[in-house]
Amino acid sequence: MNAFEFTHEPIEPAALSAALADPAAGGFAAFEGRVRNQNDGRVVSRLEYEAFEELAQGEGERIVAEALRRHGALRARCVHRLGALAVGEVAVWVGVAAAHRAEAFAACRQIIDEIKHRLPIWKKEHFADGDSGWVNCTHCAEAARVPDFDYSRQLVLPEIGTAGQQRLAQSTVIVIGAGGLGCAVLSGLAGAGIGTIVIVDDDVVDPANLHRQPLYTPDDVGRQKAGAAAARLAAYNPTIRLRPMPVRLTAANAKEIVVLGDVVVDCSDNFATKFLVNDAAVLSGRPAVLASVYQYEGQLQVVRADARGSCLRCQWPEATRDGLVGNCTESGVLPPVPAVLGSLQAMEVLKLLLDLPGQLRDEVLLVDLLELGQRRLSAPRARECNDRCARIRSVDAAAPTPELEIALPLAEAAAQGYRIIDIRNPEECAQSPLALGGHESIPLPRLLDAASTLDPRLRYLLVCAHGIRSRAAAEQLRAGGSGNVWSLQGGLARQG
Amino acid sequence: MARVHLRYYALLREQAGRQAETVETAAQTPEALYAELATRHGFRLAQSQLKVAVNASFTDWTCALADGDEVVFIPPVAGG
Ligand SMILES: [Zn+2]
Repeated sequence: MNAFEFTHEPIEPAALSAALADPAAGGFAAFEGRVRNQNDGRVVSRLEYEAFEELAQGEGERIVAEALRRHGALRARCVHRLGALAVGEVAVWVGVAAAHRAEAFAACRQIIDEIKHRLPIWKKEHFADGDSGWVNCTHCAEAARVPDFDYSRQLVLPEIGTAGQQRLAQSTVIVIGAGGLGCAVLSGLAGAGIGTIVIVDDDVVDPANLHRQPLYTPDDVGRQKAGAAAARLAAYNPTIRLRPMPVRLTAANAKEIVVLGDVVVDCSDNFATKFLVNDAAVLSGRPAVLASVYQYEGQLQVVRADARGSCLRCQWPEATRDGLVGNCTESGVLPPVPAVLGSLQAMEVLKLLLDLPGQLRDEVLLVDLLELGQRRLSAPRARECNDRCARIRSVDAAAPTPELEIALPLAEAAAQGYRIIDIRNPEECAQSPLALGGHESIPLPRLLDAASTLDPRLRYLLVCAHGIRSRAAAEQLRAGGSGNVWSLQGGLARQG
Repeated sequence: MARVHLRYYALLREQAGRQAETVETAAQTPEALYAELATRHGFRLAQSQLKVAVNASFTDWTCALADGDEVVFIPPVAGG
């Protein structure tokens, strides 16, 4: 018995309900979609249903499985009738058994809504006047629910008007990261009526995300963020298209993804992705709006590679390595901080698409929400940049360096000739000294500033508490040209 | 001696324990100034990890400081 099935025979609800009996189910909900005697004011005499069965079968099963998982229901099934049906006959049946009524109702509702929206099913309506016509059910599902989304409050702005609204409706924006910044960016852009929004995020919703990511509810925990955000926004504004991409942005796909849009918005939470977005945007001549937050502060930058503007690397030639700034622990954030910075990003996107004045360009905006201060710093294009930023070698340069880490007992590494450098700060060293002998102790900042004093004939092994800072330091030193630096995998914590 | 106004952001604000201060310094460049402040406040970020802006413009570490300059040291941040 498949969770989703097509049938050419009449549907028998009683038998289907009985088959879902479950002693653990305190609730059972069923929905029957029946053939109506009218549509759009015309009298319907009968209907014919047709489906692209190969495609619809798998998709139907996915829909049922998603609803079960999302609502924690016990069992569910959906049967869709095909062929000729008379008025009053059951065209589609959904049944859900769950521990309680709430899950049963919710899962049942989700299944029928998704079936209507996602399955390639067509119906031919035969009218009493002898006329007939085919309709794609996904279209009739949308047409039945006339989108009541009114842009009048922004149309009235003299700089926008119908022409501006049209421009937004024809635009595609790529949003990388659907976290704190992303939720604010996505809400702002969806509300403004951006025609197509692509949401790129491979992460799933975690309970710790919810306080600052209001597109998700506790029910979404464990779901893919891209899909959950797209579903929420599609319900919020049915007049726009949402394209969830539950993938991680990598050197291999960054350019392909960035060229899909008119603008790319970076809402990621790590340096590797930020530099990747910057580089892909510059190489494909797309504008990028980047932001980052730290506790009560944020930074905003608009990279106009399409207009010979400066980019992230004009200020930060070497990609900053994750793990170098701050430390291995989370630094903390209050919900309004990413919300403010994300709203500023959405505003810059709209200014750019609508050609509004005052756009941030060749500048970095620093925002401090404790003292309510902001600074607009001029950030010019690097001197050596001609056609495009000369500091970008290729997007692939951001890929991780192979064989950066070594997993060995320290004594053995020393015996193999590695020079051991303890890069922890003095307090850490005093608290748990490295009982090795023959090693050097050079705190991380001092080591980075003294990179030129490393002897190119030697091999260095950097050591820290958990291997995160040492790895980042080794990456940075290698990027600076010191190929003879390695990191102790897992740090001292793994030495036992 | 020059009198310069300083603004701290992110990690530097935490480590300095303040958002802003005005200091008298013999430092001629942002580089020398940062070294002086790093000792005073125990800054753990290397100069190579930071950017500096003088009077609202990104600049290099060896530009000449003048009396009354506003200097901002900017650490990279990545939270999202
Ligand atoms: Zn550049």
